[in-house]
Amino acid sequence: MRPRPSRSLIVPAAPVLRPLPLRGVAAAVAAGATAAELWVGVHLPGGADGAQLAALAERAQRFTPRVSLEPPDGLLLEVRGSLHLFAGITGLRAALLGECRGLQLQAMLACAPTPLAALCGARAGRPFEILESAQLIGQLAPLPLTVLRWPEDTVARLGRLGVRTVGAALRLPRAGFARRFGPAALATLDRLTGRTPEVRAAFAPGVRFRRRRELDCELTSHARLLAALTPLCAELGAFLSARQCGVTEFECRLVHRQHPATGCLVRLAAPSADAQRFTALLGEHLAALPLPEAVRACELRVARVVAQQPQAACLWQPGEHGGSLAREACGLIERLRARLGPAAIHGLTFLEDHRPEHAWSLGPPPATLGSQARSRVPGPAALAPEHRPLWLLAPPQPLAAPHGWPRRRGPLRLVSEPERIESGWWDGAEIARDYYTAVDAHGVRLWVFRERSAPHGWFLHGVFG
Amino acid sequence: MAGDPNIARLLEHPAIWRGRSAAAQPPGLPSGFAALDEHLPGRGWPRSGLIEILIARFGSGELRLLLPALAALTRAATARWCVWVAPPLLPFAPALVAGGIMLERVAVVGGARPLWAFEQTLRSGACDAVLAWARQPRARDTRRLQLAAEQGRTLGVLFRPRRAAREASSAVLRLGLEPQASGVRITLLKARGAPRTAFCLEL
Repeated sequence: MRPRPSRSLIVPAAPVLRPLPLRGVAAAVAAGATAAELWVGVHLPGGADGAQLAALAERAQRFTPRVSLEPPDGLLLEVRGSLHLFAGITGLRAALLGECRGLQLQAMLACAPTPLAALCGARAGRPFEILESAQLIGQLAPLPLTVLRWPEDTVARLGRLGVRTVGAALRLPRAGFARRFGPAALATLDRLTGRTPEVRAAFAPGVRFRRRRELDCELTSHARLLAALTPLCAELGAFLSARQCGVTEFECRLVHRQHPATGCLVRLAAPSADAQRFTALLGEHLAALPLPEAVRACELRVARVVAQQPQAACLWQPGEHGGSLAREACGLIERLRARLGPAAIHGLTFLEDHRPEHAWSLGPPPATLGSQARSRVPGPAALAPEHRPLWLLAPPQPLAAPHGWPRRRGPLRLVSEPERIESGWWDGAEIARDYYTAVDAHGVRLWVFRERSAPHGWFLHGVFG
Repeated sequence: MAGDPNIARLLEHPAIWRGRSAAAQPPGLPSGFAALDEHLPGRGWPRSGLIEILIARFGSGELRLLLPALAALTRAATARWCVWVAPPLLPFAPALVAGGIMLERVAVVGGARPLWAFEQTLRSGACDAVLAWARQPRARDTRRLQLAAEQGRTLGVLFRPRRAAREASSAVLRLGLEPQASGVRITLLKARGAPRTAFCLEL
């Protein structure tokens, strides 16, 4: 409800507190970086473009939420908390290598307590597994300086000093090293050994989904089209479940040779990430979709994803104890809408108004959350059920009334006292009527009214049912 | 013979089905009218399955007959939906509320294909009761509907014209309804385990 402008508003006097961005060590502490970390560095010797790296990062989120990109050819994962889920570092490495192979990427893995050390190990082609900080320097010492990716002349000048390995660089006095080669180079060494913690920006997956599939041959059959779209639906399902998100609608576009593309918008009753449900619904929509021409490509698009908590499967069936009917009810709403149109199912709402036309409205379908969704009972306490018909005619149907007596397939017998409803002068829909209960020749009880104003017409407004 | 305890025990065996025994029926849903409950098998409306109400004219009192049972269903703590498929007129919300129905459990399905929508709704398992108005379902359709209602554990109520009494139907219960001066006259056309009777009911 919008507040009226004349009414004063209460505004909170204190500014809303926002967490300030933390920098340096403070941020590292806040991010839990001081706890014993274990990083897996992934180096792609063949190189990779941005999309491939992002795809690999998305898959790597299966192992840990702390994934960080190191463009152009590196990826870092913090896996200390996930080790026990993958039977230790060996199992995790094997699974990660499997993901890389799935994307047809050559990868070198190494793990170490600091991100830079893990990355350097991978770049050097040494698949070492350093689990303890104590072993770190000893393992890093033989690595060539090139793995640090310092500028060419820095490496060359160090080479002229006889410093060709990481170990030799670490043995140089810190103050002199910083003076000669710059504080940035010293900071790199500190990050390598964990002397200063390194804060990595976490990889944030994109939230737009758009996949296109060129078909091998032009298709006209709906069944084949659905078969071609099924892998896209599966991709959408995986995309959503990786982000713990759901969609409430998605669009399918079918591209033709000559005609403009045919669009098909699929709406869901509740956010979902279920690929099978997408496919089934898309099938319903496609079946009703006329195709002007053969289809040469199809595309699946999602404009907006919504956060969705994963639902635990319920032990009880709907209607039992705490059983939620969310799944069944959503499925029903979607099937009806897919086949009969978006307005196929609606709910009823009761409004507090004396005018029968304004005492109800159509609403959205009932809540699907099960027995928790309980609202108050509207209280027309004065309303006895025998005074209101169960069926309403909208609009009222005029009745013939020769000599002032209403007729409908024979004369009507008025069996109740008149009930006057006179209301609505303030919003232009004023009514002034006398309502009666009438019984027709066949014994059906009707709700009729007579206009109070001229020409005093009789109308049928309801059937008691 | 009936006094013999051994035979009595034998007759209680679930594999033996006896046509006219009320005891064999699962308890039904009280209809809210004691006189009606007495005549119905299971002493109430069946909790799942298709029933048919045959009416000579629309508005003969068929809805008032169901209203107490529907109100009890929507008010239960574990209530599912109560869906109206293709009603010929608009259900009047204030009268439903006054009759005790929780509107947040009520949905109305419109559209061109009432029988298909009825079957889907019965089968979905999301509803306690589904009311439907369909023109001319064939005997085959009623069989499908009956199976769907059992699968979804739903009470399906199909309203049909009185002349459909001559046609075969798979519904578990068929009632004929005629309006009377103050109530209805009910003819029990078909009921599992109950004789065919006719009686008057005050509404």
